Amino acid sequence: MQRKTSHISAFITLVIRECKRMVSRPLYFFGMIFVPLFCFLFFPSLMKQGLPKNIPIGLVDEDNSSLSRRIGRNLDAMELTQIVHQYESVSKAREAIQKNEIYGFMYLPVNLSKDVKAQRQPKISFYTNNAYIVPGSLLFKDMKRMSELTAAAVNRELMYARGASENKVLATLQPIVIESYALGNPWLNYSIYLTNILLPGLLGLMIFMMTVYAIGVEIKDNTAREWLSIGNHSVTLALTGKLFPHTIVFFLMGAIYNIYLYGILNYPINSGIFPMLLATFFFILASQAFGIFMITVMPSLRMGLSFASLWGMISFSISGFSFPAIAMYAPLQAVGYLFPLRHYYLIYVSQALNGYPLIYAWKYYIFLLLFILFPFLTQGRLKKALIYFKYIP
Amino acid sequence: MLRRKIHSGFLGVFHIWKLEMKKIFRDEGIILFFIIVPLAYPILYTSLYNPEVLRELPVAVVDNSKSALSREYIRKVDATPDVSVQSVSVDMPAAKRLMMEEKVYGIIHIPSDFSTNIMQAEKQAIVSVFIDMGSLLYYKAIMVANTDVSLQMNREIKIQRKSSTEREEQVYAYPIEYEHINIFNSASGFASFLIPAVLILILHQTLLLGVGLLAGTEREQSRFNDMIALHKHHRGTLRLILGKGLAYFMIYLFNTAYVLFLVPAFFNLPQLGHTFDILLFLIPFLLATVFFSMTLSTLVQNRETCIVLFVFSSVPLLFISGISWPSTGIPPFWESVSYLFPSTFGINGYVRLSSMGAQLHQVKFEFIGLYLQLVFYFITTFIVYRREIFISQLHKKHHWSRLRKIREKANRTFAKKPL
Repeated sequence: MQRKTSHISAFITLVIRECKRMVSRPLYFFGMIFVPLFCFLFFPSLMKQGLPKNIPIGLVDEDNSSLSRRIGRNLDAMELTQIVHQYESVSKAREAIQKNEIYGFMYLPVNLSKDVKAQRQPKISFYTNNAYIVPGSLLFKDMKRMSELTAAAVNRELMYARGASENKVLATLQPIVIESYALGNPWLNYSIYLTNILLPGLLGLMIFMMTVYAIGVEIKDNTAREWLSIGNHSVTLALTGKLFPHTIVFFLMGAIYNIYLYGILNYPINSGIFPMLLATFFFILASQAFGIFMITVMPSLRMGLSFASLWGMISFSISGFSFPAIAMYAPLQAVGYLFPLRHYYLIYVSQALNGYPLIYAWKYYIFLLLFILFPFLTQGRLKKALIYFKYIP
Repeated sequence: MLRRKIHSGFLGVFHIWKLEMKKIFRDEGIILFFIIVPLAYPILYTSLYNPEVLRELPVAVVDNSKSALSREYIRKVDATPDVSVQSVSVDMPAAKRLMMEEKVYGIIHIPSDFSTNIMQAEKQAIVSVFIDMGSLLYYKAIMVANTDVSLQMNREIKIQRKSSTEREEQVYAYPIEYEHINIFNSASGFASFLIPAVLILILHQTLLLGVGLLAGTEREQSRFNDMIALHKHHRGTLRLILGKGLAYFMIYLFNTAYVLFLVPAFFNLPQLGHTFDILLFLIPFLLATVFFSMTLSTLVQNRETCIVLFVFSSVPLLFISGISWPSTGIPPFWESVSYLFPSTFGINGYVRLSSMGAQLHQVKFEFIGLYLQLVFYFITTFIVYRREIFISQLHKKHHWSRLRKIREKANRTFAKKPL
């Protein structure tokens, strides 16, 4: 009979064993360090403009008067847009959109200037392409403002000429005006909006996969029994010892992106960094726990990893940061709570973006911790899988 | 002589094709990536975005004017499809609390001088909207609703004023009218925008995973960790590549028909394209992806590692394609990197052909790009397969010579010691 070692020394043996395994296989380096670091650098670098500037648009000027030329110049001077080409007809401009040369265009009809003078109320049109929804929506904003200004410009000049005050002119032309306050992200910065969730999302994906891999490969290589016996035949101890080094590495990665986003790139962090670091830590624990659950439910490495990639990829959509969860079908909204990224996203909005008191977000921290229950509730099944499951390729 | 060579070449390709097909359909793991994921994933993913637009976003209102005009404004905002007025709060702190509790996603504040300003026409009436920026669609919904209502009321106010004393100055409120036309994806649907790109990516990534899994399996089963097991028909690298490539290509023709034609039809996504043009475009896309995958598959050492290696790349590949963040905003370095992947050309070409009704000559850049990738990745596949075969032969030779040495040694020993 082998004498049982104390839990502490078993834990240390397990940690050392796992560290050796992590160093001996390049896949661990790839999945735990290379991929996260690459993504942390990639996304902010890809969207470093924040808002895309100089979106190419076209102009169809059939009038070719001093008025129409002035409209064209004003449009070109707008911050987001840049007129790259004049087209002779609407159909030519439409073709240019299909070739991806422009994302929209403005159409100034023939006799525009004459009709204005004759008070016949001519109509100008702007076209945007929403198959590319981001540039399409941004153009909409600029072109709408431009059209408003253009429409009112003639009247404004008339009234100024009669000696009306600026307030009077504005109140006459536009009695009600909207002032918008985009809280937390007044620049409508696209990178702030996406990167804050894409980075933890990718980290979460890699945590799912590396957790499943680390356990599944023991089953595959027939080392699971040995691993379990080092852990005094306790699944909890074996898992804790094995995944502890992972937690450290992943938290290091988490801290790196937090420091990069909030410390170096100065993305909004209205709550201070501590609530986000805590959220990151809980998110990592939740993802690891759910990873254990995955390989428990599907003890074959291939199926476990497929589960992990499915869950990890769906996270990006179902967390609701691109397409809001409240717009999704009700059952899918409910399923969303089974994704750690959903809770992380809600914490991020409440804490980092809006800086609300912690009391409004605490429940999401608890939800993240509840994920740890998954492997506890299913540890009997995992133990059986570790002892009896045979790897089938 | 030449004819016989060509004949046996074809037979070889066919033989390899048959072997590969058998391997694919006998392996549950491959069936998962080649059949089940392409079948199920598009449905799952599209269902998430299928509601297309955000409707009736809950907002709070703080009405300090409490006038007929402010009530009209609130009623009209509530009537828009974009937002729904959840509550009329007493003051800003109360409304802010609703926002913190995630009961509303925006606050519309109407000032006390709202009605008087409109009546007196000396100052503008300013409506302030405060928006939760957790999603850009919140911003869009609240802005669209308020802008539309304000423009509509402005027009009505001006018409009413016309009949009063200021008639002279109001001869025409808008000397120029304007209209906005959404060409393509006219409802600004989220699924219509994102799903076509995702569908292409699903084909691209499952192909990459499946081919990677096949290569990893081969290595695992081989005695020397080789990717290519040697036998008669494996002598010709060309035959090997063409035979395998043909098998993947054929399976993916079926997948493509389902993923890119049936799924969009099922979910009513915009399909303005000419089927024949789209098919012509997809052939180089599939072939380029096949050879791209075959080249990368040499990196796969074990059966399952391909999942860890390749899955994460879906997210960077989607963003680098320029479908979300526009390609004009992508730094030149990343833009050139994006040209390495068939998904970039595939996404941009397919979206424009299918969602925007472009013709093949309008996606010339992507079409030629895919053919260049096809040639490039064919050559790289040839090189890496050549190398793998060479390594295989080396292992085999080494193995045989070792066996021979052992036999000779044994012979010598036995020769010395007569029985």
